[in-house]
Amino acid sequence: MTSLTCQSLDVRIAGKSICSKLNLELEPGQLWGLMGPNGIGKTTLLKCMAGLFAADSGNVLLENQAIDNLPRRTIARLLGMLQQHTVYVFDASVLETAMTGRHPHLSYWEREGPEDKQKARDAIRSVDLTGFESRSVTGLSGGEARRLAFASLIVQEPTILLLDEPTNHLDMKHQIRIMNLVETQVARQQHCAMIALHDVNLAARYCSHILMLFGDGDWQAGPKDELLHQKNLERLYQCPVESVQTSTGKRFLPRG
Amino acid sequence: MIPTTLRRTLLFILMFMSVGSIFFASASGSVSLGWSEWLTAIQDSSSQHGELIWRLRLPRALAAWVVGSMLAISGCLMQVLLRNPLADPYVLGVSGGAAFATLLGMVFGIAVTFLPWLAILGALISILLVFGLARGTGPWSGTRLLLTGVVTASGWAALISLILSLSPDNSLRGMLFWLMGDLSYATLPLWSLAVLAGSFILTLGLARSLNVLAMGETTARLLGEPTRHMLWLVYLLASILTATAVSIAGSIGFVGLIVPHLMRLLVGSDHRILIPAATLFGGFFLVVSDTLARTILSPQQLPVGVITALLGVPLFLLLLNRARLKGV
Repeated sequence: MTSLTCQSLDVRIAGKSICSKLNLELEPGQLWGLMGPNGIGKTTLLKCMAGLFAADSGNVLLENQAIDNLPRRTIARLLGMLQQHTVYVFDASVLETAMTGRHPHLSYWEREGPEDKQKARDAIRSVDLTGFESRSVTGLSGGEARRLAFASLIVQEPTILLLDEPTNHLDMKHQIRIMNLVETQVARQQHCAMIALHDVNLAARYCSHILMLFGDGDWQAGPKDELLHQKNLERLYQCPVESVQTSTGKRFLPRG
Repeated sequence: MIPTTLRRTLLFILMFMSVGSIFFASASGSVSLGWSEWLTAIQDSSSQHGELIWRLRLPRALAAWVVGSMLAISGCLMQVLLRNPLADPYVLGVSGGAAFATLLGMVFGIAVTFLPWLAILGALISILLVFGLARGTGPWSGTRLLLTGVVTASGWAALISLILSLSPDNSLRGMLFWLMGDLSYATLPLWSLAVLAGSFILTLGLARSLNVLAMGETTARLLGEPTRHMLWLVYLLASILTATAVSIAGSIGFVGLIVPHLMRLLVGSDHRILIPAATLFGGFFLVVSDTLARTILSPQQLPVGVITALLGVPLFLLLLNRARLKGV
């Protein structure tokens, strides 16, 4: 089983510490929520975990090897990341774009076979874009582009998912749909995921573990029930929070 | 875009058009040949018409085809490299360096046969200059490359203007023809065929990577591409193609911009189909343009660059407009 480990990781950007001595292991079956206020460095930390941003010190280990020493192709077969923004500059069809997820699995001259095409079609269906296959990506709405980017990620079949605000631009129905998909992937196939989220209640509903970034390198990580409570959230977001008991568990509201 | 199932058919049509254009070019000119005249002439290369076809028109048509193809591939590559559908082979200064060296050669009266080598030399200097200045040590930066290239190109343009303003009137005409792109003195060296064939095969092998690179550097890395190496490879490949094309025919404009664009409108952005389509259409387009340049005001010859612009610009605007009406 693939795992992703952060070993006393120090990440800084522009002189600001995002996390210092971060020790963390993403294990199969775990769904982590990455929480923190705007501009605290969630995206940078995710990029660092994907090997796209160099840490100041410490290591990110993928399958017990430092991620910086692994070829990108090897990484791409194990780890996939949904970026915060999805912009398509060149004209291509939705199906073609979903199929780019197969790229790390195909050799130099190889073409996508019927099996790859089927995977792309299934992924397109799972994000509710059926019927869009031959549409141009440049004409998609923000939410549709977002769902397509998620479909490409499913087609890539990584065991470790890093998702940077996957519910951005999505309406309620599709937020739930995407989160359900992640939940099923993690539970059924023993994948693991780290999701940067702003919606506390999505985190409360879906995550098994939480990583909180407080700023100045300060962080807390652990099972959801230990971290997700009123006091911690008030400290995290610097605003008064009210906790409500609902039929599906505790939920949180900002107190204006 | 045309349906996926028709793409293969389109390639056959383009291939047919390419071959047809070369035959057409060999039959037309100041001495226009009918079908039967052409047939007898082509069988006897020592006859007067045969010599015209075999020694003059066919080599020139082939040179046009090769140059057009090279510019088209280079344009496709530059557009991926800079992630901008408006990039063309000349935007990073390759042709500027070649032009400066060539004009300098003309000023000093260097023999015409050496001019292509000067062009290659000038292009190489420009390529290495931009490469060295833009490379840096950090991650790949398309913006830094673009700025370095554009500013280098402006530098060359200033030097070219300097030469033009200091040159005697009688050499200006030749210089202007070269600058606009002209195939009158073009010869087709064998190594340029090797450059075209090699780059074409390499580019086609990289086609899926190009698709991914066009989606942005971060996306490409996440999909397993070692982007830094790949993008420099794309830069060098595009530059070598441009340098070779420019050394044969001067800086013919618009082909490298318009052909990739037209083909994108027709077949989409999958480089596995875009590259062969652009290669074939680029060749066809330049052969037809050059034939028109020879014949429109014959016996006077026009620089082919004027024709490519006059044909390309309206065609492009028309297609772009129609594409927009359909909501693409």
